[in-house]
Amino acid sequence: MHYDILEKPDFSLVRVRFQAPGEQLLVESAAMVAKHSSVDMKTQMQGGLLGAAKRKLLGGESLFQNTFTASAAGEELWLAPGPEGDVEVVEMDGQTPIFLSSGAFLASAPTVQIDTKWGGAKGFFSGAGLFLLAAQGTGPLFFCAYGGIHAVDVGPAGYICDTSHIVGFTGGLEYQVTKVGGMKSLFFSGEGLVCRFQGQGRLWISTRNPSGLVSFLQPFRTVQSS
Amino acid sequence: MQQLQPMGPGSLPAPPGSGVAHEISHGPSFAMLRVDLAPGQTLVAEAGAMVARSQNVTMAVKLNASPSAGFFATLKALVIAFIRKFIGGETFIVNHFSASAPGRVWLAPSLSGHVAHRRMNGEKLVLSTGAYLAHVGNLDIQMKFGGLSGILAKEGAFWLEVSGVGDLWFTSYGGIEAVDVTSPFMVDNGHIVGYEGNLTMNIRRPGGGMMGLVASGEGLVCEFTGQGRVYLQSRNLGSLVNWLSPLLP
Amino acid sequence: MRFDIQYRPAHSLAKVSLDPNESVVAESGAMVGMSTNIQMQTQSGGLMSGLKRMFGGESFFRNTFTAANGPGEVLLAHSLCGDMVVLDVPAAGYFIQSSSYIASTPNVSIETKVGGMKTFFAGEGVFVLDATASGPGQVLVGAFGGIQELVCDGSLVIDTGHLVAWDKSLTYQVGKSGSGWIASFLSGEGLVCHFQGQGRIWIQTRNPAAYGQEIGALLPPRSG
Repeated sequence: MHYDILEKPDFSLVRVRFQAPGEQLLVESAAMVAKHSSVDMKTQMQGGLLGAAKRKLLGGESLFQNTFTASAAGEELWLAPGPEGDVEVVEMDGQTPIFLSSGAFLASAPTVQIDTKWGGAKGFFSGAGLFLLAAQGTGPLFFCAYGGIHAVDVGPAGYICDTSHIVGFTGGLEYQVTKVGGMKSLFFSGEGLVCRFQGQGRLWISTRNPSGLVSFLQPFRTVQSS
Repeated sequence: MQQLQPMGPGSLPAPPGSGVAHEISHGPSFAMLRVDLAPGQTLVAEAGAMVARSQNVTMAVKLNASPSAGFFATLKALVIAFIRKFIGGETFIVNHFSASAPGRVWLAPSLSGHVAHRRMNGEKLVLSTGAYLAHVGNLDIQMKFGGLSGILAKEGAFWLEVSGVGDLWFTSYGGIEAVDVTSPFMVDNGHIVGYEGNLTMNIRRPGGGMMGLVASGEGLVCEFTGQGRVYLQSRNLGSLVNWLSPLLP
Repeated sequence: MRFDIQYRPAHSLAKVSLDPNESVVAESGAMVGMSTNIQMQTQSGGLMSGLKRMFGGESFFRNTFTAANGPGEVLLAHSLCGDMVVLDVPAAGYFIQSSSYIASTPNVSIETKVGGMKTFFAGEGVFVLDATASGPGQVLVGAFGGIQELVCDGSLVIDTGHLVAWDKSLTYQVGKSGSGWIASFLSGEGLVCHFQGQGRIWIQTRNPAAYGQEIGALLPPRSG
């Protein structure tokens, strides 16, 4: 399949052009913008009921995913994520796994296996319900973020980043979650948990933090009347 | 108390081909429109869109009824406007900006995205109600009801039909992509900015049987058949809300 | 110190490159990433000035990031989508809308402007900062939307939700936009600021309160 990411980096929009009938793309629920009517869409629980339930409870992804199948060459499928931000695509080579924050997965070819990696116990993400997904295999993997996606090539010197800004990282990186500064800093600094990466690999950081938007919108929500 | 008046035929029509002096900056993500008004020109703009204006530009609130509307149509428009103000959505109250000497008005929509300019020359363009920003000239803007199926589709309840001669500015949430449609094309409701040409729009389920409707997360979709052009926006308020909701305290 | 702003205009990220022992002061919560040799200290002025900031209007905590044992980098961003710009602080100084402030060089003094300024903005928790520098200094401001510099040459009327920063040389008056209560209610315009004099005004091309209201109305209600 052929794909373009338009409107980069502000409101990235993915346009897929299928090259042959039978080509498929697995897409996060509700990410479809448009398609030719002849592209078939099936909703399924990926990996069977147990696999899907595990992913929902642990991975934070919605339970259902859509599989789009082309019926002819030249058909188009347009995708967009919910938040305002960028989309990146990596052609997986079957060797290096990629770990993604839940909520960052947008779409992938069926030849990419997505599994839940239990990173939550270590308090990896300070936000509720955010965990790590592991992607392995070959083919395109599309991921998204609230904000732009900034890639940092991490080397022996390491890198520190705020945990709520982590989009994903490649295998080959070790990570450790810590507080920044001392107790006073934890309360007053405004910085929450940070993650220290070491090793050799690539780290993707989002330039915006969803909890920043959530806090901003909080006063604008209507108050529930009891 | 300010009297509300329906938009009368008082605005001067811009001569064909001349266009109104304007500039769209900071596109495509946070586009802002600046209109340079000549004396006697009136800029009509969505309520709440003003960023700045020269001191000498006056602003008056009006109902955006069709210029040919009679008393009952105006009353209906007023009722709709009040209802929508309370239930949310486009109020279709507008501000009229004019000045006796040259003046500038800066406008911006509330969501991130683009502003597009369209010089209308008698053709018809259908816009989603949220997409209207402003116009100068002799444009007829009619609010059309999308029908019962339109109500189910939430965003599809009301559409605007724009025709006439003048300058029109409309907005998108995210960027705007124009897609030329020649074979049946399905678009998620919340991603439509507008469309034109010889297109028929039908509201449908996206496929996948019953499970597809309930589980797929896609709302209802619009299917376009015929020949024409559809304007897509790259973000969708409904998807933003779905993404945000699990993160809310 | 170098400011390098990437991913403009919507998702702007400021990469601050620090020489050994150089510091940058930043709004709390603005740090996205940093090299491992950066040391962070909260409340460079001590806890008392933090409390003073709290009583001055709202809590306003800042962190000082210093590169130790070599050069370092700090990545900074603010919470809403939009552009950033670095302003050289003139002797006369600037007024800055509080949520637009992201960072500054250590020699720029940032104080909360007191006295009636809470009526300036329709939203809560937003107030005006007074930035002055004793020598060459810079301030990094971020916006919701794009940043546009307007020149006021006599007079200009601007919706207050769109204000980012302006020269202190300008005089201004805040008022309602529409006339009459129905007009104000329906016109959707909030408060406007009538500027007089000569000077520069930086505006943001989106209004956070309008954005918040539009989306907030669609979100599930909160419990309190």
